[in-house]
Amino acid sequence: MDFNLTEEHQLIRQSVREFCDRYVCPIADEVDQEPRFPAETVKKLAEQDWLGIPYPVEYGGAGSDYLSYVIVVEELSRACATTGFTLECHSCLAEFPLFKFGTEEQKKKYLTPLCKGEMLGSFALTEPGAGTDAAAGTTTAVLDGNEWVLNGSKIFISNAPVAGVIIVFAMTDKSKGTKGISAFIVPAGTPGLEIGRHLNKMGIRGSLTAEVYLKDCRIPKENLLGGEGQGFKIAMMTLDGGRIGIAAQALGIAQAALDESIKYSKERVQFGKPIGTFQAIQWMIANMATEVQASRFLTYHAAWCYDQGLPYSSQAAMAKLFASETATRQTDRAIQVHGGIGYIKGTKVERLYRDAKITEIYEGTSEVMRMVIAGGLLR
Amino acid sequence: MLNIVACFKWVVDDADIRVDTGSRKLNVDKAAYKISAYDRNAIEEAVILQEKHGGRVVAVTVAPPGAKPCLKDSLSRGPDSACFINDPCCADLEPSQTAQILARAISSKMDYDLIICGEGSGDIYAQQVGPALAERLGIPCLTWVNKLSCNVDERRIIAERKLEDGVEVVSAPLPVLVVVLPDINAPRIPSLKQVLGAAKKPVENVLLEDLGSIPGARLLTTDVVAATMDRRRIKFPADADGVREAVNALLREGVVS
Repeated sequence: MDFNLTEEHQLIRQSVREFCDRYVCPIADEVDQEPRFPAETVKKLAEQDWLGIPYPVEYGGAGSDYLSYVIVVEELSRACATTGFTLECHSCLAEFPLFKFGTEEQKKKYLTPLCKGEMLGSFALTEPGAGTDAAAGTTTAVLDGNEWVLNGSKIFISNAPVAGVIIVFAMTDKSKGTKGISAFIVPAGTPGLEIGRHLNKMGIRGSLTAEVYLKDCRIPKENLLGGEGQGFKIAMMTLDGGRIGIAAQALGIAQAALDESIKYSKERVQFGKPIGTFQAIQWMIANMATEVQASRFLTYHAAWCYDQGLPYSSQAAMAKLFASETATRQTDRAIQVHGGIGYIKGTKVERLYRDAKITEIYEGTSEVMRMVIAGGLLR
Repeated sequence: MLNIVACFKWVVDDADIRVDTGSRKLNVDKAAYKISAYDRNAIEEAVILQEKHGGRVVAVTVAPPGAKPCLKDSLSRGPDSACFINDPCCADLEPSQTAQILARAISSKMDYDLIICGEGSGDIYAQQVGPALAERLGIPCLTWVNKLSCNVDERRIIAERKLEDGVEVVSAPLPVLVVVLPDINAPRIPSLKQVLGAAKKPVENVLLEDLGSIPGARLLTTDVVAATMDRRRIKFPADADGVREAVNALLREGVVS
């Protein structure tokens, strides 16, 4: 058993830290407070080969592994959770289903420009009446000659306003429940595809999240991804991998909360001593560090399982469950360590506190994670 | 075509240095190591010139065997190959020894047109290795360079030197050694493919014993302690008179003029 990262993984972490110091940290507050999408950073992510990390070089990817991807998301999120999530959503939710279920032609046409960073990707599963209960979706797809005609509406769709392609899930046979869901590749600009209002979120405020409307949206027959009725399976497999990415995002947020707390507890003097010399603060820091490290081990282990070709669904769920709840808990503690100043806009821990919460919700709530874990154990 | 040697040093990451508050001793037990920030500029400038004029870049370091991670780090930043001159005694060399080792390795193993060094090392910052290396190799040395170009046809380097009292533009025939300043470039951040590709680049492992004996150290370091800054702890009232007093105090101290 070896807990050491390879030299390459360590260098990747170092590169991301350099990148964050130069490009991400200086605008992180502005991205959050305006809020605005950090388009200039996304362009640079592509130059670093980070927009297709675990996918083969022949499709424009970097040909690396999932652990490298996890390290990149972790470090980006440590600096700016919006940036980390933008990459996660693109890499996992849009690229993975194309890589795993796409035909050779679909991979060349859509996966390659996504991996090269020529466009961003998005994933549209959730509907106003169908969140965790994907089978309750009402978006439909009907084959009309050589075209699929999509109708319906989606909500909470990340990256949608800036995406070049959206993976859309729709019912092709409502009577079959989850087995009647299919996945489709919908390029931006397709007539009938409309991006609705940008939702004003509590955290990851620079990330663009919108409603998506499909009104007689016609796409070529060959834009069906995987087979008809395979949509639910595609969505669930995609989310399994995505959860490792969200765990990495949560880990980065929690690590940042710990970093800020250590720094502040050494600087802040009360009763003539740095507050880090008081046991009350020390215990909070100790608990934070322990939970952050546990989150890291769970997250890296899930990525390792993925890389080894081992089952990773339960491992991904455990990593996301623990890391996201750690992020929420520890960003709360970080504000407590900071006291009043931690409650003020512009303080990093205030941003982290708001950014953390979503990690317990998207790509499967904590409750769904517990269902997945228990399901694997009690099967 | 230019054959360029970029010299670098593997130094303790200053962000990880801990200071014992009582004795002021430095504790580097838990410190990570990195390529000296100034030497990243040297590597970057070598790669920029190679991209423009063709040729090859070799990154050279003198270090203890444990510094091996520096190789992939340096290679991910663009050089074609690395030369790792190593020996346990290289952990604590003084600049004259480093310059002598580099001179022997470079003169015996490399065809070079240009050698680039950073302004000084990130740890002891003696700023001596570059000029001493040029002297030992018998080639011109251009220091304080913040802009560099090459006329390959005439085999000359043109350098802008940033001096205290102005900027001097000089030219020197190849081969030449150039010491670059940090503002000459912004070192690239290695892309993922560059990181992964570093492992495939050749590394020449040179043992110190292969270069002959090195003279002993001439300097004796008796102690290293952290610098302290004594604060005056002068308090000024938060009113108009206090502001005037504070400004006058700063003027008296020469902080502002």
